[in-house]
Amino acid sequence: MSAALSGTMLAVGTRILTVEDDGRIRQAVKLALEDEGWEVDEAETGEVALERFKAQESDVVLIDIMLPGVDGFEVCRSIRRISDVPVIMVTARNDTHDIVAGLEAGADDYLTKPFAPKELSARIRALLRRARASEHGSLERIVIGDLEISPEEGMVLKAGAELHLTKTEFKLLVELASQPGKVFSREVLLERVWGYDYFGDGRLVDVHVRRLRTKVETDPSSPRYVVTSRGLGYKLQP
Amino acid sequence: MRWLPARLGLLARVTFIYAFGAMLLSSTVALATFGLAQRNLVSAFEEAAQEQTFRNARILLDTLPSEEQLAEFAQSVQDLDATGDQEIELINPSRAALDALFTPNEAQVLFIRGDGEEYSYDIESRALPADLRSMVVSAGNGEMRFSQPTGEVVYGIGLALPSHNVSYYEVAPMGDLATTLGSLRVILIGVSITASFAGALLGYYSARKALSPVAEIAAAAEAIAEGDFEARLSPSADPDLGRLSSSFNEMVDALRIRIERDERFTSDVSHELRSPLMTLSASIAVLEGRRDELPEPAQQAVTLLGQDVQRFQGLVEDLLEISRLDVGAATLDLTPLVLSQFLSAVVGNSRTPEVPVAIDPRFPDLIIAADKRRLAQVFSNLLENARKYAAGATQIGYRVVGRKVQITVEDAGPGVPPEDRLRVFDRFTRSKRDAGRRDLAMGVGLGLSLVSEHIRLHGGQVWISDRVDGRQGARFVIEIPIGDMSNFDEEMAT
Repeated sequence: MSAALSGTMLAVGTRILTVEDDGRIRQAVKLALEDEGWEVDEAETGEVALERFKAQESDVVLIDIMLPGVDGFEVCRSIRRISDVPVIMVTARNDTHDIVAGLEAGADDYLTKPFAPKELSARIRALLRRARASEHGSLERIVIGDLEISPEEGMVLKAGAELHLTKTEFKLLVELASQPGKVFSREVLLERVWGYDYFGDGRLVDVHVRRLRTKVETDPSSPRYVVTSRGLGYKLQP
Repeated sequence: MRWLPARLGLLARVTFIYAFGAMLLSSTVALATFGLAQRNLVSAFEEAAQEQTFRNARILLDTLPSEEQLAEFAQSVQDLDATGDQEIELINPSRAALDALFTPNEAQVLFIRGDGEEYSYDIESRALPADLRSMVVSAGNGEMRFSQPTGEVVYGIGLALPSHNVSYYEVAPMGDLATTLGSLRVILIGVSITASFAGALLGYYSARKALSPVAEIAAAAEAIAEGDFEARLSPSADPDLGRLSSSFNEMVDALRIRIERDERFTSDVSHELRSPLMTLSASIAVLEGRRDELPEPAQQAVTLLGQDVQRFQGLVEDLLEISRLDVGAATLDLTPLVLSQFLSAVVGNSRTPEVPVAIDPRFPDLIIAADKRRLAQVFSNLLENARKYAAGATQIGYRVVGRKVQITVEDAGPGVPPEDRLRVFDRFTRSKRDAGRRDLAMGVGLGLSLVSEHIRLHGGQVWISDRVDGRQGARFVIEIPIGDMSNFDEEMAT
């Protein structure tokens, strides 16, 4: 089976919600994505997007940050409150502030306009693969301190209570937990969690680590589990 | 104060002028004081000595023996010599007169009789200056300051006592006066020096106080230069400074509005250009996906379209990058990079993936703090530049120099002539060999200027030299600070 075909197989039946106020872009992106085999729902404003999402949950959401009315960050936060669906932010420029704010609002990844539809497909596939891998993973249950990670069920317990991690946060935690005490560089984590090459954006890792800490750490400002390793990367402290 | 070296700061100059003024004033006052004191003390001393001399002269008039008494004494001496009696001591009436004199100022006294006989305990007539003696002889009295052979300054007074045919002299030592004046001099010099220092201190503090608005303006201007447009001068009640601070603040407001407008313009242009590019990019992807369904000419058209949309996209990206750098809106996203890995990845990702990477054997695992995206663009532009003009780079490598790292990209091309080595970093500068070559391989001329801008943002510099091994070719050297990883980690931890 060719790679393109397997991608198309994955795409079949996968619903993508694109939130974009520019009708021409929306139409062109829909055309391109549908040509790759995805099913595309459209929303021209944040309000419409939230309505559509509540009516029928999508598999992936693509949100443009610059929206009239409710902006992309707010749409992302609203979706995060009700779902751990993979979210990709689309920024108009390579601006640190927008990117970090988007990731902190709960986005799993971002793309900068104009992007190639093939790149978008690759990102969507990476996000879905990871979500599915964590559903059918083969890792054994890991217990570290009061954390209990069950890759099989996609579940993390802290002191017996279930934590609500997004799929990307979960994958990041499982990756770090696969070898407790080993330092993972940003590049390695970018490749294993997001499927990026060496030139992926390290801020993806940094912001996700920050988000992960707010959930797994008792005191996120002085982490006990997810520890920064001087200049090298991150590790899970056994 | 043109004569003061201009390289001295204003503060130093004002301090110096104050100190100089204080020194001038205090030393003038001290000199005047000293002169006045000296004159007063000397004349008081002389008056006292003269009064005492007159008092003693009056005593002498009463006690000096008359001619008869002298004759009588001479007779008695003769008689006594005749008897040979040694036990009896005759009292010389002249000497008795000498004993009656009272000299609380420890003056030496001497009188000389008409017959030339002198009476004194401690001074001889030849110790007196001839001028003084002749004055006494001719005018009946005289006074003068003179030095004794020992060097001591003394005040001599002479009086003629014609009734007894006697010249009377008193020589008063001026030693105490000299001591007093000496102490006074020391005190006055001390006061002058202290006053000069006090003047310098006063000058320093008043100048600093007066210059504090300048220091405040300097601090505010520096903050603004670093991009802090919230920096303002506190409004001053002083009418002179009030105008300065209000006009300064107005200038900052105007500047901020202008820069914000520029940034907004950049952001707007960015959005406006990216939106149609997004539509183009997505639409071309559809066409390219269905290339096989298109007739041959349409396939060629799609290829051209795709390539030029990509080129246009690259140009827009570069222009926006440059304009962000121009308005100071660009920020560094520092991240730790293992330099050898980074360079290998850049080379592997380039169109010349076989270029060897030379690492510094002393620091094979060197980690630098840099903006990965910008630095990747820097080296991919340099590698692309070498590919276009020199058939590819021959080597990329790094070397640690102090707290900096030099990363070099070498090629075996024709090299860059020295006169072009700065110019190539200007915008839209192309090699002369590009003339007439307007195809896709040609760069848009922003690549090297972006290299230099990104490196400048990192606090480093870029230059071109000859190859160190003497062979033909260009050598691009990037020098950037290694950066402090500990700061970075603290930032990351929060």
